[in-house]
Amino acid sequence: MEIDWGLFVELFARTFTFWWVILPAILLGLIVGAIPGFSAANTIIILLPMTLAMEPEIGLIFMVALYASSRMGAGIPAILVNIPGTAGAAATPLDGYPMTKQGRGQQALAISFVSSVFGGLLTTILALLAMPWLSQVAYHLHSVEMIVIMLFGISLIATIAAKDTLKGLIAGFFGLMIGYIGADVVYETPRGTFGFLELYDKVPLIPALVGLFAVSEAFAVIEGESILTKRGKEAMQKAGWAETWEGVRLAISRWWHIIWTSIIGLVIGVVPGAGAAIASFVAYQQSKTFSKTPELYGTGHLEGLVAPESANNGVTSGTLIPLLVIGVPGGATAAIMAVVLQYHGVAVGPDLFDSQPELAYGAFTAMAVTYALMILTVLPLARYMSKITVVSTTYMAPIIISFTLVGAFVPRAYVFDMYLALAFGVIGYVARKTGYHVAAILIGVILGPLLENYFLRALRISQGDIMVIFSSNLGNIMWVLLIISLFVPMYLDKRRKRLSKQAIPITTDC
Amino acid sequence: MSDENGQNSGKPEKHSAGAELVLPIAGLIFTIYYFTTIIDVPWTAQVSAFFVGTILIGLIIALIVRTTLAVRRGDSSWSVAPLIAPKSYVPKRLALLGLTLSYVFFIEWGGFTITTFLFLLCAMLLLSGGKNKGLILSLSLALSVGGYFLFIVAFNTRFPRGPVETMLHGVF
Repeated sequence: MEIDWGLFVELFARTFTFWWVILPAILLGLIVGAIPGFSAANTIIILLPMTLAMEPEIGLIFMVALYASSRMGAGIPAILVNIPGTAGAAATPLDGYPMTKQGRGQQALAISFVSSVFGGLLTTILALLAMPWLSQVAYHLHSVEMIVIMLFGISLIATIAAKDTLKGLIAGFFGLMIGYIGADVVYETPRGTFGFLELYDKVPLIPALVGLFAVSEAFAVIEGESILTKRGKEAMQKAGWAETWEGVRLAISRWWHIIWTSIIGLVIGVVPGAGAAIASFVAYQQSKTFSKTPELYGTGHLEGLVAPESANNGVTSGTLIPLLVIGVPGGATAAIMAVVLQYHGVAVGPDLFDSQPELAYGAFTAMAVTYALMILTVLPLARYMSKITVVSTTYMAPIIISFTLVGAFVPRAYVFDMYLALAFGVIGYVARKTGYHVAAILIGVILGPLLENYFLRALRISQGDIMVIFSSNLGNIMWVLLIISLFVPMYLDKRRKRLSKQAIPITTDC
Repeated sequence: MSDENGQNSGKPEKHSAGAELVLPIAGLIFTIYYFTTIIDVPWTAQVSAFFVGTILIGLIIALIVRTTLAVRRGDSSWSVAPLIAPKSYVPKRLALLGLTLSYVFFIEWGGFTITTFLFLLCAMLLLSGGKNKGLILSLSLALSVGGYFLFIVAFNTRFPRGPVETMLHGVF
């Protein structure tokens, strides 16, 4: 596949003419992304009759724009009310919500928008240019390598647990055990299901997300008049347009951070089935590992917000690569796009680049144009969106409870899932009140079953030989990187403490 | 450090470590239950859970030992106070939990619109202590009706449906 610059320019110009499709899709994507239980995949399914009736090119542009904007939409409630719209935004509130509490919600939204847009835009262009090579990544990442990628994500539990390692690890391992509820992947044996048929297919993620973050938060915030601190309230009252521009400036000042964390997202996104949650956890963990100020993470730190938002938008373009290049969808939304294209007689796969380049490359130009239009439309809204944080908890808590619980119902249409969300809400409430991190539990619930899946697959392929996890060169390099990323921060932390101890007598002497 | 006048020399408040054991004990009970469900299953269904569960039990035991030692030293107590603090909010919180349970219970028959309206109305009145009745009534009505039009009529989402949704189905 050679790069045809003339075709790219032509495609970009042509895609801009479809602004009338892209703008409504952006608006819709932001709404469905922000509501837990709704996702781009669900929405595209609901709107399937409409997309099937469109021309293939317009239908594809609509779906891509909705997909990209829903990813950004998921970060908005994560920042403002500590409720991630999707699992892909689960790492966003770690630093986004503390910023909101400090009255910097508007700034946090601007940082999130800029990181998402530039992360998404950069990875889309990279995907477009490096598609032939990136498509090979999926061939090289097998079960063994995926185990190490999962462990990168799970090691975030230890990172979150920095204040009290023991409690953090208990929360994470408790989450992993909850994640193992359901039938095993090989023999379909039910495990830990309490006899509920609804749990045979594993613990559904949306009720877990809704319960741990939203319901528990709603029960906790009723103690105060507002979710903002006293200083936060004062800051919010003074906030003007300058706050948005300050957020933009801060995000741009971390341009290098946006680049490398979004590339993490792109690479993880290329692997079918990996997804935005893993990418954002891995990016957050790596960001903290290589930070000069790791102690600030979790307190409303700029880089702690930039990393997951850039990474989860990097995934968006990554998931389209295996779909278009080898015909394997990288995620649920990509799978639905494939169905729509096949309905129109478009066979996805390598031939598409020769037979209908305007569709193959057009998917990426549509994504790039969406990101470009999105920053113009969304950024001015940050000021108004952030006002939601001044709403009294008297009104906010019941609204959060009712709408998120119904959101838990939507994916499977089981009332059982609403009870499940409530049960997770109780777990989350106890966790919050007693100093356990709900994000650590959620990481376990999300990554536990995936890790088990890849682990068992690797064992089955090797006929039970555990050493298979060290059998690939790429995997071994990743193991070394994992060990380095776990132990280097500990060494640096010790070194920092030793240096600061040595520095104290000198200061006193002066 | 305390000064010569003895300021800050009063006994520091004991850390209420009992509350911190609630989640681990729940985790311990769940893990033991989980193990009972995988005793007679193929090894592929056991290996990961036994590995993770054993580590979890080890961590929980370590926390219990740490807490016991802290209590014996006099640094901590078995109190579960942080779990219910501030006490003045306990009745409101329990009432809200009861309302939420009722909401989930009745939504299957009542459907989204009417159940959400009643839940929002009751929960907001509870939290406001009966103030701003007019605002709460209009807000509950606007949100439930708005939710109906946005999610059920416009998006045709799989929201719980009851008599109101069935009745209006022919109209919208």
